[in-house]
Amino acid sequence: MTQLLLFNITNGLIIGAFYVLMALGLSLILNLSNVINFAHGGFLVIGGYVAYTITPYVGFWGALLIAPPLTAIIGFLVERILIRPLYGRDPLYSLLLTFGLAFIIEDSTRFIWSAQGKPVTIPEFLAQPLSYEFFFITGYRLFMVLMVVATVALLFGLLRYTRLGIRIRAGTLDLETVAALGINVGMLRSLNFAVGIFLAGLSGVLAAGQLGLEPTMGTGLLMPSFIAIIVGGVGSLAGTLFGGLLIGVASGVTAVFFPSASEAVMYVLMAVVLLIRPRGLFGEEGMLT
Amino acid sequence: MSRNGLRGVLALAAIWAALLLAPYWMPPLGGYTALGTRVLVLALAAMSVNFLLGFTGVLSFGHAAYFGLGAYGAGLALKFVTLSTPLSILAGTVLAGVAGGLLGALIVRRRGVYFAMVTIAFGQVFYYVAFQWSSLTGGDDGLRGFSRQPVDFGLFTVDILSNANAFYYFVLLFFALVTGVMALILRSPFGRTMLAIRENERRARFLGIAVEQHIWIAFTLSCFFIGVAGALYALTNNFADPRGLHYSQSGDFVMMAVMGGMRTFWGPLLGAAMFVVVQDYLSSVTINWMSFVGLLFVLVVLFFPRGLLGFVRHRPQV
Amino acid sequence: MSILEIRNVTKRFGSLVAVRDVSLTVAQGELRAIIGPNGAGKTTFFNLISGLFPPTMGTIFFGGRDITRLPAHRRVALGIARTFQITEIFPELTVFENVRIGTEVTAGYGMRPYIGRPGTTKVRGRVEDTLKLVGLEAKADRLVGELAHGDQRAAEIAIALSLEPRLLLLDEPTAGMGDQETHQITQLVRRLHREKNCTIVLIEHDMRVVFHLADRITVLDQGMLLAEGNPEEIAANNAVQAAYLGKTA
Repeated sequence: MTQLLLFNITNGLIIGAFYVLMALGLSLILNLSNVINFAHGGFLVIGGYVAYTITPYVGFWGALLIAPPLTAIIGFLVERILIRPLYGRDPLYSLLLTFGLAFIIEDSTRFIWSAQGKPVTIPEFLAQPLSYEFFFITGYRLFMVLMVVATVALLFGLLRYTRLGIRIRAGTLDLETVAALGINVGMLRSLNFAVGIFLAGLSGVLAAGQLGLEPTMGTGLLMPSFIAIIVGGVGSLAGTLFGGLLIGVASGVTAVFFPSASEAVMYVLMAVVLLIRPRGLFGEEGMLT
Repeated sequence: MSRNGLRGVLALAAIWAALLLAPYWMPPLGGYTALGTRVLVLALAAMSVNFLLGFTGVLSFGHAAYFGLGAYGAGLALKFVTLSTPLSILAGTVLAGVAGGLLGALIVRRRGVYFAMVTIAFGQVFYYVAFQWSSLTGGDDGLRGFSRQPVDFGLFTVDILSNANAFYYFVLLFFALVTGVMALILRSPFGRTMLAIRENERRARFLGIAVEQHIWIAFTLSCFFIGVAGALYALTNNFADPRGLHYSQSGDFVMMAVMGGMRTFWGPLLGAAMFVVVQDYLSSVTINWMSFVGLLFVLVVLFFPRGLLGFVRHRPQV
Repeated sequence: MSILEIRNVTKRFGSLVAVRDVSLTVAQGELRAIIGPNGAGKTTFFNLISGLFPPTMGTIFFGGRDITRLPAHRRVALGIARTFQITEIFPELTVFENVRIGTEVTAGYGMRPYIGRPGTTKVRGRVEDTLKLVGLEAKADRLVGELAHGDQRAAEIAIALSLEPRLLLLDEPTAGMGDQETHQITQLVRRLHREKNCTIVLIEHDMRVVFHLADRITVLDQGMLLAEGNPEEIAANNAVQAAYLGKTA
């Protein structure tokens, strides 16, 4: 029993780490620009496919290094050209735009790389399980978790100590004042968006190694990201972090006792949180109301 | 009668004339009655979404869930409980409306994009349930094994099962009923309160309007309305599809409303017609129709946000 | 008889204390002005009375009833109406439609879905009366968003009046106005006070308006009550002068 529980909790944490990476990117964009990026899953897919395409030339590590920034640049351009015109308007329009964008990305991926799943090769030494006892912790999964931890640490470091990070945080709280201080809010939003997309792209590269690659893989991760943000609390990145891990572990634990309900438990958690503490576990009152 | 009033009456008459005579003017144009039926049903769904979105200003993006509940409710009723088609519509409507009322109570204190997120997430719950509870819903294959039955009025029977025209008028009847109720509500003091909330929520609150309660009522009503549409949709194909519950379906409804003109009453009808025609055309011409639909979203949002009727009429009719 | 009684009210936002231990009593039928330098907490004070948020400490009584925890829309039902510093109207509706909404809510039509003809005529009559009172009956069919600033402010006052308030809170009614419009609004407020017999509390920066209208003046500074009295007493008060020294009044 303990073995099974441990297996599932670990599984849950690993998946949760994944949700965290996605949800943080989504949360960044939501907090600063008030935009729900439906295309976030699409950028994950782009990250994965770009990595797949360049791996033959630069190897796995090269792809890991190059694909996310490349995806971020695409995100940056998308934000500047398509999303920027919509900022003054009803948030409905940016919703619809990212929505349409998601369609375009999914279909284009299908068009360029075909609808078949693509096999992705990961370095040999990572594919080995850690030990006989913990057969479920392969080197790759451990690597993924380490990557997520490192990335999250870097992200929080960015937000805390760099000028860009501080401006993003200030902008999240009061964009008008930030603008009044002479900071280029347009560029700030674009850069913030790019950071969020970087996280999505990175998720894509990592996911490819674990789940394989196919055009619809992004959409399955979008909902858990939403729920992570709702549960953790809108406006709080720490909350999103916690939320992602929580739903990952919750679904892992549920898999032990009620295997078919493991996905449903996320929604149940969300409903419970909305009932008891509508602003989310770490949410601030009045953030995005 | 004032100039505006006369124009309004004429426009209304024109719309109803077109709707009543559709089985006759569609075929010469390359259409067919069943297409008209489909447009009518989707238009009703889009108008239900617009009731909330366009007139209250509430960003609800998860309405496909209630559309689907209406469809499955009707389908299950016909399959297991009753042979009466009207009763099955009632079943679907009630299921959708009650679900909307319950969930609405949970989410009504949120606003803006956060509200949108929560409506989407909740909508997905139903999508997920429709897939998982396959013993009841048929899972991925959808719900089958039911079909609309000829309606027996005692003295005569209307064969809505095999007669496409008869079914069209059957659907039109419900369309008229629901849009009639919608119009009545929007023209009433309650409807004006909804408008006030859309125009300036803070001011509305300081006018003594219990904003959350009003939004909840509007939300629940819109779920009842879209439940009717969903039930009719299931009857159109004698089939209920879990994909109809996915948030992308919600996106389609919103897009129809936007394309036709979000703050007008009849805009979504035009939007639905345009959307259906364009989508049908695209999917017959290319396998990458999805990209083009996505492109349509992007173009409309960037260049035609006011929609077709939004160009024509400047301000909301109160 | 006091209609509004505020006892030791404090409002904190995190570590910022916007209103600090303020107590105030307004008699029925009075016209009270609240003045003070920028940042004195005047609008926060209004927000507390109208119910935008609850006080951190203290109690608020209206007509003898404790309304401290009552939500905003219920206070409106009790008879408190307000205007905002930045005009809050329904921009894409006409003047008539703007005022009608408040009239219908007051007449009790809010939640009921559909009312027959008789109600409509009565409502129309009341709206027209309100419009006449503020002098906007000629512009009833114009979109409020298209009106001049002064008329928009008058429209907002009309909306507040449609609620048939016992207490009217006006937040800087003459803000951003030239002499002509200021005069217009001042006359309007005086007319309202006399004809409608409602208690009026207004926040004002324009001292001419204040001394022209007010029965009593309350001075706030940095969230605290600095002085209170009739216009002559306040004009002679040294502390008040010191608070305003160097600040644009």
